[in-house]
Parts: sequence; structure tokens; C-alpha cells
Amino acid sequence: MFERFTDEARQVVVLAQERAREHGAGAIGTEHLLLALYRVPDNLALAVLGANGVDRDAVEADVDALREGYGPAAAEALATLGIDLDEVRRQVDEAFGPGALDRTRSASGKESWWKGGHLGFERASRKVLELALREAMRLEHGYIGTEHILLGLLQTEGAAQRILLARGLRVQTATAMVDGLVRSQRAS
Amino acid sequence: MSDATKIAAAASSKDPAVGLSAVTALRGLLESLEELQVANARSHGWSWQQVAEALQVSRQAVHKKYRKFGF
Repeated sequence: MFERFTDEARQVVVLAQERAREHGAGAIGTEHLLLALYRVPDNLALAVLGANGVDRDAVEADVDALREGYGPAAAEALATLGIDLDEVRRQVDEAFGPGALDRTRSASGKESWWKGGHLGFERASRKVLELALREAMRLEHGYIGTEHILLGLLQTEGAAQRILLARGLRVQTATAMVDGLVRSQRAS
Repeated sequence: MSDATKIAAAASSKDPAVGLSAVTALRGLLESLEELQVANARSHGWSWQQVAEALQVSRQAVHKKYRKFGF
């Protein structure tokens, strides 16, 4: 599926894998794709993000916040089994020091980190790339660039989508901007 | 509905999404606890063999899983 990717879009995929590995994650998550967009200089996705005030520092802080251990979803899921995560955390922290439970790789690395080796895409990340392709076709662009990856991120349920929405970026705005930017590039 | 009632309702629900997320969260918690305990055992001078016996897995399995952590 990567044959129609621009060089910059390919770089995003490679850099996302690096971010995921740095984070000790078991797979490339949508947040790693989002972080990677900021590491490729002067791309169209950055133009859209910048114009909407979604800057790199803010996004990196958001992703870091997500990585801080077990979130409310895990606590809720465990509660259905009668396990009180707060109590577990309290006990563990008493034995191993404050934050010990949330600092474990399992807590911060999402899933299957122990398999090691090649990092694949999370299902949501695969969907992002599929939607990037779909958006590129719909807009009749004939290639898949960073801007289409951004549109894919905005339309796929996941960490990146939550961050972008919370930072005020909307898919309609972004799509219109991408369309406009590509048109003006082609006209010049 | 109180929190406790909500939790009881969720626990008795047969909704696969609820049940499966609970299992996933439990597995994550299990991994965290194992990681902490293995690190602790190693820092107390336990051999991989001893750790493996306590966890009832092979020495190779535990070593392969944790060696890259530098325990």
C-alpha cells in the first residue's frame, strides 16, 4: 500500500516506528504517527496543524500525558471484576515506591512489548493509512502525502484523534485547508 | 445509580465489549506486577532459574522476556 506514498509520508511511517520503539510500545499507535508528522520538516500536514495552532510542544505534552500509566478506562474495566485499581496502585507503591505500577513497561507500553522485534501497526493506525489513501483518492490527488495522513488521523478513533479534537482541529476545516493548499500548489 | 450498582451491573452484563476489556486490563495489570516482582527478585540476587521456578515457566522464557530490561 506504500507505493503511492510521497517521500515525506514514508518518512512519517519510519519515524512513527522510531517513536513507538522509544516509547517501549508494542505497536505503532496513532499518536506515534501524529508525533512523526512534526519530525518531517515543511510538510503540508504541518501547515494545517500550524495554521490551527496545534503546535509540536502541546502535542508532545498530550502524548506524554497519555503515557502516564493506567488510565480511567483500565480502572473501569478492572472494576467490573471487582478489582480496585487505586487500591492495587496504593499497595504496589507502598512496596516499590510512588508511581512504581504506572512506570512499568506494561502500563506505559500499551501491549505485547515482550514480543520484541519488528513493530507493526496497531489496528487503528492501519485504518489511518487506509483512510489516508481514501482521502487522497476522493480529493483526486493521485499520491498519499502527510496531509492525507493527518486527515486519516482525524477520522480514526484513537489517541491522535482525541488529542487533535481537544486541541480544536476539526476534520472539515482540515480537509478544506488540504484541498486549498494542494490546489494553490498545483496552480503555481 | 450509585457507582457500586453500576459496577455490579457491568460485572453481570454479558456484553462482550465489557468482558473483553476487563480481561485485557487484567492482563496488563498482571504484566506490570510480574515485571515489578521479577525486577525485585533479581535485585535480591535471585537467579533466572529461581525466578522461573517461582513463576512456573521455563528459565528460557523468563530470561528471554526480561533480559532486555537489564534486570
